Amino acid sequence: MRFHGPDGEIILFDNLHLDVRAGESVAILGASGSGKSTLLGLLAGLDLPTEGRILLDGHDLSAMSEDARARLRGELLGFVFQSFHLLPGLTAIENVMLPAELAGDPEAAAKAAAALKEVGLGNRLRHYPAQLSGGEQQRVAIARAFIMAPKLLLADEPTGNLDHHTGQRIADMLFRLNHDRGTTLVLVTHDQALAERCQHVYRLQDGNLVAA
Amino acid sequence: MRRAGLAWRLLRRDWRAGELRLLAAALVTAVAAVCAVSWLAERVAAASGYRAAELLAADRAVQGSEPFPADWLDRARELGLTVARTAEFPSVVLAGDRPQLVAVKAVQAPYPLRGALQLQPTPAAPAEAVQAVPAPGTAWVEPRLLDLLAIAVGESIALGEQRFGIAGLLVLEPDRGSFLTGLAPRVMINYADLPATGLIQPGSRVRYQLLLAGPEAALQRFRDWLPLDRPGLEWRTPADSSFGVRNVLERAQRFLGLASLLTVVIAGVAILLTIRHYAQRQVDRVAIMRCLGATAADVTALMAWKLVWLALLCGARGIVLGYWLHLAMLALVAQLLPPQIPPAGPYPAVVGLGIALTAMLGFALPTVLRLRQVPPLRVLRRELGQGVFRGSALYLAALAAVFLLMWWQARDLPLAVLVFAAVLATLSLLAALAWLLLRLLVRLRGRRRRLLWLFGITRRPLSTSLQIMAIGVGLMALLMLTIVRQDLLAAWEDSVPQDAPNLFLVNVQPSQVEAVRELLQAHGVSADFYPMLRGRLIGINDRTVSPEHYQDRAQQLVAREFNLSYGREPAAHNRIVAGRWWAEAEPRPDQFSVEIGMARDLGIQVGDRLRFAVGGEEVSGTVTSVREVQWDSFQVNFFVIAPPGLLEAYPTTFITSFYLPSAQRGLLSELVRRFPSVTVFDIDAILGTVRDIIAQGSRVVELMTSMTLIAGLIVLLAALQPTGEERRFESALLRTLGAERRHVRRLARAEFWLIGAAAGALGGACAATAGLVIARRLFQLDYGFDVTALLVGVLAGPLLVWLAGALATWRFYRASPMRLLRSGSD
Repeated sequence: MRFHGPDGEIILFDNLHLDVRAGESVAILGASGSGKSTLLGLLAGLDLPTEGRILLDGHDLSAMSEDARARLRGELLGFVFQSFHLLPGLTAIENVMLPAELAGDPEAAAKAAAALKEVGLGNRLRHYPAQLSGGEQQRVAIARAFIMAPKLLLADEPTGNLDHHTGQRIADMLFRLNHDRGTTLVLVTHDQALAERCQHVYRLQDGNLVAA
Repeated sequence: MRRAGLAWRLLRRDWRAGELRLLAAALVTAVAAVCAVSWLAERVAAASGYRAAELLAADRAVQGSEPFPADWLDRARELGLTVARTAEFPSVVLAGDRPQLVAVKAVQAPYPLRGALQLQPTPAAPAEAVQAVPAPGTAWVEPRLLDLLAIAVGESIALGEQRFGIAGLLVLEPDRGSFLTGLAPRVMINYADLPATGLIQPGSRVRYQLLLAGPEAALQRFRDWLPLDRPGLEWRTPADSSFGVRNVLERAQRFLGLASLLTVVIAGVAILLTIRHYAQRQVDRVAIMRCLGATAADVTALMAWKLVWLALLCGARGIVLGYWLHLAMLALVAQLLPPQIPPAGPYPAVVGLGIALTAMLGFALPTVLRLRQVPPLRVLRRELGQGVFRGSALYLAALAAVFLLMWWQARDLPLAVLVFAAVLATLSLLAALAWLLLRLLVRLRGRRRRLLWLFGITRRPLSTSLQIMAIGVGLMALLMLTIVRQDLLAAWEDSVPQDAPNLFLVNVQPSQVEAVRELLQAHGVSADFYPMLRGRLIGINDRTVSPEHYQDRAQQLVAREFNLSYGREPAAHNRIVAGRWWAEAEPRPDQFSVEIGMARDLGIQVGDRLRFAVGGEEVSGTVTSVREVQWDSFQVNFFVIAPPGLLEAYPTTFITSFYLPSAQRGLLSELVRRFPSVTVFDIDAILGTVRDIIAQGSRVVELMTSMTLIAGLIVLLAALQPTGEERRFESALLRTLGAERRHVRRLARAEFWLIGAAAGALGGACAATAGLVIARRLFQLDYGFDVTALLVGVLAGPLLVWLAGALATWRFYRASPMRLLRSGSD
């Protein structure tokens, strides 16, 4: 796979190859600016490579339209971001419901309540993001990521904005869900300790991945 | 429908979060204004149809010069119609040996079929509405007859061979017709007494009417049955007697309609501002939703549905508010309307929903639809999707919506184009001036780096000039509707001098002119007498003139005789606009000077040759001048004037107008007694009615403008809203860096003051200029640039913006910087 940066001049990834199997956990390490988040965006179909292919559960993302990729994301993917990306005007349960609502699931509310209970926020359903701590916000985000029972969970620095202790708890939760539900987990981080909890660890170096 | 349902839930969440409230307020205001005017117009129009029936005292009437055969009445009753007969003719009554010319009207119960008479039992008693006729042997008379004959209620008068006891005073007779027809005082008797008077002889000049009331279908069948082709027989409808009233009403409706559109346009500006702010805040959310599986089509449908839901909700609220508002307006003009008016119909509600949807789709939809362009990758790379709202195409839809609304409201393409161009020009001017002002400030700051308080403004030049423009529009509307309107009204009232003529004497015989003049002079009244002849225009150049060649007013002018005059000097209040007045000592006699309105309507120009039929003969002359006449000056005016020598040979009477203080009203009786054939028109009574109508009408306009005012204030708040977040962040940052709260506030205050002063000055200047143009062009008023508006603008602008700004930002200065920085990160 080849990917040109936004300016078109710099080749960010050259001849990059990554194979992730169902149920595996994979960590991608890299310094700031090495292209970790860009790689994650490509894996999610948020962007397309200049050359090469990305196959997701048998679907060739490069051959799909943006809308088809969006639908596929809705079915297969869950996201956890460094800055949580919760909608500030919605309560915790409404944030978690959103993917299910977008998919037209009539049981969105019940599923969201169950998901929040699972991450230990059963008593925080009607709280707004601003009324929750950073760790709680990330747990809401995890509940949102899991509500559609995704096959693949993509996490971008999931503990980056949290203190050590809270980060530990969030990581535990991610790995537990990964294990219990057989969800494939790809996480991007610069936290060596977090990365080492994954089955496979790669380092992004000079536009290519090397096993760490 | 799945998306519609989700959009509904998302909208409710947005609403709960406080988003869209200003937008909703603006929309509700706009819909309320339009609905109120629409309902008012509909119900007043229906009521005026009813009023027009009152002016006829019936739904329809048959008019003829001979009594109607009995089988006509039978036939009408068979068809289920209510009927009553009337007969009107001029005659003379005697009180003792004193004669008085009167207008007799014999009426048969149940006259009046529509409307009511106002009757006073005695001069001191209050008037009451009655639907009745005088008992046989009695008469109801106009109060001035008592003065003229020096008699009282209860005494009797002789009419022909019959005596009548005066049983009441007739204060108002709705079907009396226009004030120009009934000149002599009214005497009303019972129809059954008519034969006993012995006054009706073959060849008597009597106007008989058969009044009819009932269902439209029955009226139509009766009309079809009547031999209407008989000479002298006329079928009268309410419209015949209310032509002028309807005209005025139509204009008033158009004006109010356009005024309500001003509210819509200003509300539209508020919608544009708030939706931009709203859409900006949606960018991140849409990116997340796209990331969570929403397609671009999902985003489009969700956003569009949200707006449709909001339009329907706000439309419904606006309709309710508009309904209440129109009730308040109706209460204000209650005196002008009949006691029962038709119920409110559903049409204005439909209009309200239409306005809500049009405004929403025109002003808001194009902006939110841009959100489909937000790339999902924005969740990882924040710099993406920043510029989705760039470009002026967003405003084209808004402009198109405004234009469509104006066209629909004015129902007149040229007028709509004119108003639209004026609005557009004003907005562009405001924007250009705001931008220039900012350029100036940037330069000032460039030279003196220490002017820290200019920092905020010059750093946000685009959003600041937008704010100045929007607030300027709001302030302009406020100032126009308050100060400029007051000043214009005052100028109009000043333009009608206190001593404007309030009495006209018509029908003064040439032999009486000197005697009447002396009588007036003895009472300290000086008056000019003008000769007056009746003539009909029969030809222009080689063309024969006939009514079917013309339409509207021109047709009326040609169809009937109008007044001609002659004289050496032009009247002081006339102005020659083309050609020249005859200044020679002995001018050529075959010349005419024509009033400009008539010249325009009939296409007459200087040099044309006009032919008139005067007293059965043809008189012709060349048009040598066109005059502008101030019809509202209440002076005597003529359409056509000739120099001396052309018209003297034809039967002429004289006319004069003068001001008579109310203390000298006694002069009138003496005048009528000494010169019974002279006819007096009392303008004071008419003027009183006109003043009432204007006073009540302007209260409706005030209520209407209060809606525009509210829309203006919403614009003010909306204009401050987008910078609110920036301010919040700045405030937190400055305080984190050690600035005192007091200092931060002072900076913000200076900025608000400056924006307010700029907007106030621009708004004030535009309002004053608009007032000047309106006064000069539309009302021909001598009216200068309204400095007060400018001053009030400069003073009120900073105050208003400061208050609104303080309201919108005070919590930013109270909360701790940490909290602000955290909550600002969404």
